Amino acid sequence: MGFRFLIVDDSATTRAIIRRTIRLTGVPADVILEASNGIEALQILTCEKVDLVLADLHMPLMDGVELMKHMQCDAALATIPVVIVSAEPNVSRIEELTKNGVRGHLRKPFTPESLRALIEETLGVAHA
Amino acid sequence: MTIVVNVSDAAVSDDVEDVLSTYSLGSCIGVCAYDPAAHVAGMLHFQLPSGAMDPQRAQQNPFMFADTGMERLLRLMAEKGADRRRLRVKLAGGAQMLNDNNLFNIGRRNQTAIRKVLWQYGLLIDREDLGGNSPRTLYMKVADGTVTVKSGARTAVL
Repeated sequence: MGFRFLIVDDSATTRAIIRRTIRLTGVPADVILEASNGIEALQILTCEKVDLVLADLHMPLMDGVELMKHMQCDAALATIPVVIVSAEPNVSRIEELTKNGVRGHLRKPFTPESLRALIEETLGVAHA
Repeated sequence: MTIVVNVSDAAVSDDVEDVLSTYSLGSCIGVCAYDPAAHVAGMLHFQLPSGAMDPQRAQQNPFMFADTGMERLLRLMAEKGADRRRLRVKLAGGAQMLNDNNLFNIGRRNQTAIRKVLWQYGLLIDREDLGGNSPRTLYMKVADGTVTVKSGARTAVL
């Protein structure tokens, strides 16, 4: 039984890179879903089971911070781990998000190895 | 048996008695690739980022460059039964050597080049010992893929 991922980023290139990295990690992935903003993400989350959300912060329509707030307000979504993959340079902003349920953070540009480490750590999967 | 990989060179072995080794990794990078199921080990010692810089030289010695070197190394390993999807990859080298005034930043460019090449082949880096200012020596046991890096007084298992 594999994991179900949701990638939330307004850049199709970034989503493709994250998608490919997930596949290359060897972590069993049943499904990798994608959304280009927070609204699309919430639409997916309300009808699909997801084990890990990888979200950018700066997106149109609904950004990563708003997405987190909505997820925290929904009992069904509040327990889903979220990691932020963002170019956000403000460390204190990231720390604030961590207090509000974000389980990890990866600063863009990132190496695939660092994304692998973050995914494995968040899901509690040992490196194969 | 110890098999020495020279500068702009590569070697592949499936003999569990063998140890692959390479020396004088300054701005060059040593790539160790290992298939733990087939016990096939490959080591590449490349000097420059891309064969496009000198196509004639790349044809004469593909191991001089990250891209042509990896392409050839992976092919040689496949011929001995290695499966690319199982490969564990470790890197060492890519230093900024103080005697070359870093005009071309070769060490850094080699690091960027090999990351790009490995990504293109769908290979993630397991461990790395890159950068700094000192040369390195690299060893890999074919029996179990153990990689050891030596640099000055420092010895580390990757």
